[in-house]
Amino acid sequence: MNIQFSWKHGLIALAVAAAIGCNGGDSTATTPTVENKGTEATPAAAGRKAPTAEGNKVEGDVIKVGIVGSLTGDQKPWGEDSVEGAKMAVEELNAAGGINGKKVELNTGDSTSKAEGAKTAAEKLISDGVIGIIGEVASGHTIQIAKSAFDKGVPVVAIGATKTDLTQEGTHVSRVCYIDDFQGPVMAKFAYEELGLRKVALMTDNKQPYSQYLSKTFGDKFKALGGTIVKEAFYESGQTQFSGQITELKAETPDGLFLSGYFTEVGPIAQQVRQAGLKDVKLMGGDGWDSPQLLTSGGDAILGSFFCNHYNNKEDRPAVKTFLDAYKKGHAGKEPGTTMAALGYDATKLMLEALKKAKSLDSKSLIEAINETENFAGVSGTITLKGFNGNPPKRALVVEVRPQSEGFQVFRKAYEADEIK
Amino acid sequence: MTVLPDLLAGLEFSTLPQQLVNGILLGAIYALIALGYTMVYGVLKLINFAHGEVFMLGAYTALFTSWSFGFTQAGNKQDSSPGILILMLIVSMTVCGIVGVLIERFAYRPMRSQPRIASLITAIGISLLLQYGGQLFLPSSPPPSISDKVNPFKGNIEIPLKPADSALLAQAEQLKAKVTRTKAAYDEQLKSEKDSFNLSPVGKELRTASQDAERDYRNAIDKANKDALVITFPQGQVIMLVTTVVLMIILTWLVMKTTAGRAMRAASLDFDAASLMGINVNTVIAFTFFIGSALAGAGAMMNASFLGGTKIDTFFGMLPGVKAFVAAVLGGIGNIPGAVLGGILMGLAETMVIWAGYGNYKDAIAFIVLIVVLLVKPGGLLGSNKVEKV
Repeated sequence: MNIQFSWKHGLIALAVAAAIGCNGGDSTATTPTVENKGTEATPAAAGRKAPTAEGNKVEGDVIKVGIVGSLTGDQKPWGEDSVEGAKMAVEELNAAGGINGKKVELNTGDSTSKAEGAKTAAEKLISDGVIGIIGEVASGHTIQIAKSAFDKGVPVVAIGATKTDLTQEGTHVSRVCYIDDFQGPVMAKFAYEELGLRKVALMTDNKQPYSQYLSKTFGDKFKALGGTIVKEAFYESGQTQFSGQITELKAETPDGLFLSGYFTEVGPIAQQVRQAGLKDVKLMGGDGWDSPQLLTSGGDAILGSFFCNHYNNKEDRPAVKTFLDAYKKGHAGKEPGTTMAALGYDATKLMLEALKKAKSLDSKSLIEAINETENFAGVSGTITLKGFNGNPPKRALVVEVRPQSEGFQVFRKAYEADEIK
Repeated sequence: MTVLPDLLAGLEFSTLPQQLVNGILLGAIYALIALGYTMVYGVLKLINFAHGEVFMLGAYTALFTSWSFGFTQAGNKQDSSPGILILMLIVSMTVCGIVGVLIERFAYRPMRSQPRIASLITAIGISLLLQYGGQLFLPSSPPPSISDKVNPFKGNIEIPLKPADSALLAQAEQLKAKVTRTKAAYDEQLKSEKDSFNLSPVGKELRTASQDAERDYRNAIDKANKDALVITFPQGQVIMLVTTVVLMIILTWLVMKTTAGRAMRAASLDFDAASLMGINVNTVIAFTFFIGSALAGAGAMMNASFLGGTKIDTFFGMLPGVKAFVAAVLGGIGNIPGAVLGGILMGLAETMVIWAGYGNYKDAIAFIVLIVVLLVKPGGLLGSNKVEKV
């Protein structure tokens, strides 16, 4: 999951527009654009550089660990959840006695839902002496954190950044989520085998490399399975009318529609698809759908659709139950709204477990220890980083969109990492 | 010279009528916003860059009005009525009208005696102020949207131009029995299964049989419908179009037949002469801003509630604002019928580009059309050819 809004030279564009009297072409410059989610399918392979800087050392009786999250701005729900999850992990460890008798202190930085903000927050945390950073949810933000951390030799454990080539930034970066090369094929397999779809149309958000890449990985796998991609239609974030695209798709009589964009556009598209008379077409998407807001923007039209996610509150596993019980205790009985609480918890706990095994309490040993992680039992599944260059093979869950009373996303089927390809 | 036939061969003429309809429906909203730009320009020779933000505030007003009726995300109010929609429309129009007047009073009027570029920069300033300042007090993280329950008109009107092949349709109907049979068998099996995505081998087989039967049936229906031609009008969008036309008729009456309209036309012709004739120019300008902004409010309310689920943030008005501005320029800025024509043309250009298979370039081509028109006819389609410095 990753959105990065960059308001590029909005003022300049407008000023230019004003100066020449008529201009409209620069509209894209000031609308939210999502960068990142790499377009190149570089399977994170070997050749990762190791940072040369010394990193931070633990001084005194407190171990400082940092987390960067979007506590303000568009991604606030994800940022808040990830920080809550991290706090839980730290509190549990401290309650159990800390590490070598030292307590862990979690320092929080706000990325303000912007890449620049993430960079500033990470640098502040590093200068405050944290020995490792957890975060972020968005790949575009995480890349900035990773670059800053590389120069200082501090490890980064990303929470929800799925961009495939992210971990190529260096050996200090790893993550606890799956990568984009995985979720597209998972949905293709689900569509072909479970839903019995054969003719699927794609709708891609042309402003979001994430969406473009997801459409590609979905389409490739779906074709490989024997299905047909009848058409790909393009739209842009911020668009409100999709009748033109939908008419073109309708002419191809698809039995499924894969919407690889974010929930903000997916909702209106779903409503307009139904209004255009495509009543039976199955709708599907990726983890960009993960927001309860989808229920308002999609209304009744989105119910019964499927998307791919990292984790689900309703999963029937002991780890999930333990996590939810603990979470509810600290949050007045409420379950986390997005998956980022569980992933934030996993990322933090993974770093703390590595810290226990590290040779000494400094960044350099911590990087080594994180990369040696094997069979770490996380809430979102077992995580192994050793031998995988920071990209753990993870499971993906297909969930169905149901009304809020049924819990918004209802778990349907899990795919293990080795079931795809 | 084979390019043209190749190009034509790639076109799907069966969707053309539907796409023309889509284009007009889309263009109507652009036209509504474009009117605001063009009216203000006509009177003040000022391009009101804050107009898109007035549109944005109109959408928020509609959102808050719908919330006040209980259509919140958490609320489970299910039924709406046309009365609520009309009320939302009136509230949005009024609020936007007042906002427009306030912007004029406090931002543009003090600048009126200054060089025109000063007003223009002020307009940009107001636009940015509302976009970014709005984030402080308007809910935008994550962006809300108006509940789909507000709009009771969710069906569509289908107009068949050419019927489906009845022989093939009859053949298809024969497959229906198999669909029902296999589905019943699968449903029966489901009762003994844990859930529909972790099936036993028997369950899987039955599911595949059911899915295959349904697919065959659907393919047969599609085959029968292959040459059929049906135009679908989503009800909500038809209402949008009708409302837009009604508002435009009222506007024309207002400008052409009333004293206020005459004063407006006089002021646009010559500011100083009009005031010498006893016209209160300040009132005329405030009136113009009120009408133009109210139209934007109407467009915003309809856009946000009939196109259900559209996300509303403080940048909501930017893209429509820019496109409507282009529409106004295309039609000839300062010219009221021109704004309508420009809006419709923009809508048509956009959908035609998608229809021709170049959806990737839809905005680019719409703007190329603009450039070409301006090169040939700098005043816009219905504008005068007098060169204006902005």
